[in-house]
This record gives sequence, structure tokens and C-alpha cells, in this order.
Amino acid sequence: MPPEIVFVGWNHQGSDLDLRARLAFTPETAREALEGLFRERILTEGAVVSTCNRAEIYGVSEVPDSFEALAGFFSRFHSVDGVVLREKALSGRGEATVRHLFRVASGLDSMVLGEAQILGQIREAHRRAAEAGTARAVTGRLFQTALECGKRVRTETSLGARPVSVPGIALGLVGRIFESIAECKVLLLGAGETVELTARLLAGDGVKQILFANRSAEKAKALATHFHGWTVPWEDRAKAFADVDIVLSATGATDPVVTAAMLKPVLGRGRRRGPLLILDLAVPRDIEPTVDGLPDVYRYDMDALGELACDNAKDRMTDVPHAERIVEDSTQKFLGWLAGLSHVDTLKTLHERFEKVRREEIERYSGKLSRLSPEDRAVVERMTETLLHKILHNPTMGLKEGDASERLTRAAVVRALFKLDDGE
Amino acid sequence: MFGTGLANALFGLLALLCYAGATVLYVVWLRHPHVSAGRTATVLAGLGASFNFGFLYVRSVALKTVPYGDLLGSMALFGLFLAAMSLILEARHHDRSLGPFLMPVSLFFLLLSFVVPGGGEVRPELRGSVFAFHVTLNMLSYSAFAVACALSLLYLVLGRRLRSKRHILNGPVSRFPSLSYLERAARTSIGVGVVSMAAGLTMGFLWAYRVWHEQHPEWLLDAKVWGAGGTFAFYLWIFVRAHRGASPVTTARLAVAGFILVLLSYTAVNLFFSKVHSFT
Repeated sequence: MPPEIVFVGWNHQGSDLDLRARLAFTPETAREALEGLFRERILTEGAVVSTCNRAEIYGVSEVPDSFEALAGFFSRFHSVDGVVLREKALSGRGEATVRHLFRVASGLDSMVLGEAQILGQIREAHRRAAEAGTARAVTGRLFQTALECGKRVRTETSLGARPVSVPGIALGLVGRIFESIAECKVLLLGAGETVELTARLLAGDGVKQILFANRSAEKAKALATHFHGWTVPWEDRAKAFADVDIVLSATGATDPVVTAAMLKPVLGRGRRRGPLLILDLAVPRDIEPTVDGLPDVYRYDMDALGELACDNAKDRMTDVPHAERIVEDSTQKFLGWLAGLSHVDTLKTLHERFEKVRREEIERYSGKLSRLSPEDRAVVERMTETLLHKILHNPTMGLKEGDASERLTRAAVVRALFKLDDGE
Repeated sequence: MFGTGLANALFGLLALLCYAGATVLYVVWLRHPHVSAGRTATVLAGLGASFNFGFLYVRSVALKTVPYGDLLGSMALFGLFLAAMSLILEARHHDRSLGPFLMPVSLFFLLLSFVVPGGGEVRPELRGSVFAFHVTLNMLSYSAFAVACALSLLYLVLGRRLRSKRHILNGPVSRFPSLSYLERAARTSIGVGVVSMAAGLTMGFLWAYRVWHEQHPEWLLDAKVWGAGGTFAFYLWIFVRAHRGASPVTTARLAVAGFILVLLSYTAVNLFFSKVHSFT
């Protein structure tokens, strides 16, 4: 069985969250799994891509039914029913594997189309496999090309340019209204997980003026202390709107905590200067929608943020054909490289390249060689041919030795050292 | 056509072509942000401004005085100032979003300078630094008001889109600068316009008092004088109320209305109502 690139995996398209959670790899378990796959000779090269939405193994295999062998291995490794694993698995061989990984790297296979984190996760998977010595010539090149493909998609298309998550949309809105978020004064209403996370993100973005208001003054004070901010008494929350640029509200109240009647005296004509962005992340709403009528107030609730996310997701779809073309281009380039990697092809190309050099040198000295007799010229020809054969003898033998994976690795090294893919 | 030779016509034509090319490419960039389209638009705008300057320079050499004593020259100068301001703002903020709005205005005024009649021989009283400063400063102020108008229009469009809560982070609007920047830059432009117009009008009054005092004693009642004075008072009022914390939306609306006043004062009043302030 000649070596072949294969993959098997479980992702959001076929497996539910529970199964994905059971199949997830930590860096340690990924290494253990690869060691086991090498020990059982299922793979001769490999790398594991594990994210919250996918657990996928890519590698080079010489076993006849690699899918069966891989599924059986992971059934034992994760103690999961083999029938379920086989039923839910995605798998591929050869070209299908290459195309799948390149689509994954481009964000085309992600749950959120075009999401950017996957590229970092693939880079990490490659790094770990390279450190463990399991990403050799083919897998190493496969992952490198996947990273290049993913970068190209991000550079040449706007697939990942428009945010589709709530924090991304919120930050995008801030950018549409204010020149720099760091200069903004922000009021956070509530003291729950969302407010804490927002405060952390804001502090990370360099925001220095964060005000906290909450029914429980102790919780607001604790947050203010932690994030070097200030507290606003809950009963003064509406007054604080006059003095801030951004308000984010995420309380657990069942009725609006800020009404238009409360804000009108504060935000009415001539009361404040500049725009006010209100992000109401509470469900049900914290801020009455009628505040939209107040001058320079831009209010967004979860419905509005959701619609913006939908707009962006639809827009991302328009770039899919371009991204698919990039994936196809990268796939064909990689397959072209792989096709030339057989030791027979490599040897042929290597001998042709050296023979070309020999002929060029003979040609260069043709003037001086013309003074020789025909017999002497034939001797020079034979001597240079013999010299070439002797020089190439050991590399030729080396390319034929070892198992298939070693031969591929050596072929890749020889091709790189002698620049056999440069098309001279 | 221009009476100032082939070089003058060539510079004018090249400036026109570059401005037209830049306008098309800026609009293409606004719709689809291809880097090459944006860069080429900037290069063409720069070339257009250089040719526009060349056009005025050749004219100045031929006339042996400032080249904008007539409507033709002042319109070409207005086009040059607008293109230059657009490029300065683009370089300062690494932002091309003003180009699609200012470049067509540059193109329009340069094109207009081709169709309005040239002044021919320059009268002796139109020579001298006081008159030159008067025209230059007033043109600078009109250009600043045009920039303020473009920024305010962007502010109003972006604000309206933000209120509609749809397609804010994609499409042409996503390439506009932030509301805060638009508001601040529009306020600065109005300030520059008010200061330069105050200086320009002062120079104009000095020149008019000296030249028209005996020839046209009724000059203070001329429509152009009142038109320019009214425009200045209007912008001064916008500037003061904006600095006192008026709503940016109202300021933006007033800046757009103000520029309509500028256009009226600059074109219709000059051409149809003014008795003494004629570009001849």
C-alpha cells in the first residue's frame, strides 16, 4: 500500500457538543494519541487539530483501510462507542484531505463562516506536531500550505473582515462612532458575568474611565476596585448618562431600568455634547427603546446587534466563491508538489538536473576542448559522466532506503536542497 | 480658448482628466475597497492638483499678476484648494473616504472654469498684494466651507445609518471615518473658513475703499458685499454655537445649508446681482 494523506475527524457538522467534548484533545492527549498511532503503525506522520468545534487528525498512512484503523484507535483512546464514532466521523483520503484542511484553515468550514481563530489553532497544531517530530515532510508541508492558504483568503477576500459576534459587533459600533475607544468614558450597568467580561475587555483596550452602577452597591464597588474604576449610586444612573460616551447595560431586571422619561432631562437639547452609544445586552431590555428619539443617542439592543451580525454573515457569503477558488488553487499546488515527491520522480529530476549542469560545463569549455582529439574529448565526456554517477550514487541509494514515510522525507529534503521544484 | 497659450490649455486639460479619473476611482474604492483603486485615485488626485497648480502658474506668468482676478481663475483656484485639502486630510488620517465627495467638486469647478469667460487684460487696480490676499483668503475660506459641508454630509449619512441600525459595518458606510472625527474635523474646517474669510473680507474692504471709493461710492450697498458679509455672519454663528456645545447634528445641517449660501454668493450673486464686484 503506497503512503497516502488521510484525515478523520468529528466536527460541528456531524457531531453534537457532547460527543465533541468527549473527543477533544489537550496538548498532552494529542501527543499521546499520535504516539499510539505511530506505535500501531496506523500513521507514519500526523498532527491533531482540536478546537471547541472539531477534533481532527491528519497524517500519512500506509494501512489499506486507514479510516477503520483510525476510528478503531480513537474508539479505544477516548472510550467511545466505535459504531457512533464511525457514524459521526468525517474522513477523506488524498485530495479530499488536502482540500478539507485548506477549507478549515480558510474559515470556510467553521461554524461561524470566516472566523479568524482557526488559523491560530492550526498554527498551534502544526507547532506541537513539529515539536513532537510527528509532522514530517508531507504533513509539515501540508500544514504550512494550509496556513498560507488561510492567510491568502483573509488578505484577498473580506471573508473575515466583518464581525459576526456580539463583542465584535459592539466594538465595530464603537469604531463607527468614536475615534479611539481608549479615550471613551464608559458606564456599565449591572454586575454580572457580561459586565465583568466587558470591563476586562475595555481595560485591555486601554479604557481608563470605567464607571459601575448596580443595585447592590457592594458588587459595583468590588468591580470598580478590581478594574480601577468608579462607582455611581444606582439612583443616579440616569444622570451619569450625561457625562459618558458609552453605556453598556446587562442587568437581570425584568423591566427597563432606564426610561426615556429619566433620560430626557439629562440628554435633552443642549445638555450634553457628542454622541452617546448605548449597548443594551440585557434580555429583556434594560433601556426603553423610546430613548432612540433623543438627540445624538445611538441605542442597540440584542435584536439590533443580532440583525447586524446577520447582515455581516450574509455579506461574508458573497466572498465564499473567491475563497473557494483560493482553496482550489492551493490544493492543486500542494498536490503538484506531492506528486513530484515519489523517490522515482525525485531521482529522475535530480539526475536530469546534474546532467544539465554537466552539459553546460562541457559547452562552456567547448573552445578549449576543441583543441583535443576526438578520442580525448570522448575521454572527458566519459570522465564527467562517471564523476556524476559516483557523486549521485549515495543520494540515489539513500532515496530508495527506509519505509515509505522516510523515503518521502528524504525526497522532500533532496528536492529542497537542490531546488528541484524551482523549474529551472 | 484661454488666451494664455497652449501650455495653459494643456495643464488645464491634464488636471481635468486626472480629477475625473480620481473621482471615478474614489467612487469605485468606496463601493469595493480595492487597495489598487484607492492608491491610483490618490496618485491621480495628486497629479491633478499639480497640473491645476501648473495651470494657474502659467496663467499667472502670462498675466504678470495673480491668476485669479477673474471668475475663471478663482474657480480653478477653488478646485486646487479643495483637491489639496482632500489630499492633506487623506494623508493626515490615512483615510480616503472624503475623496469621493471632494474630488467631484474639484472637478466641477475646474470644468466650470473652462466654460466661464476669461478676463482677458488685467486692469491695473486688480494688481497688488491686497487684492491677491483678498481673493486667496476668500477662496481658502470657501474651500474650507466645502470641506466642512462634505464632512457634515458624511456625518448626517452615517448618523442616519446608525439610527436605522442596519448595514453599518459593511458597504460604503463602513469606510466612513467615525462620527466623532467627522464632527471635530467639520468644526475645525468651519473655524479655518471663518478666520480666513474674516481676513479675506478685511483685505477686500481695504481694497474696495481705496479703489472704489470715488469710482463706485455705492459699493457698500452692492449685493456681493452683503452676500459675502451674510455668509461670514452665518458661519460665525455656526462656529460659535458649535463651540458652545450645540447638537452636532444641527451643526452638520447648518454647515450643509451654509455651503449652499456660499455657492449662491460665489456664483449667482457674482454673475447676476452684483453691480461693481464683477469678474471682468
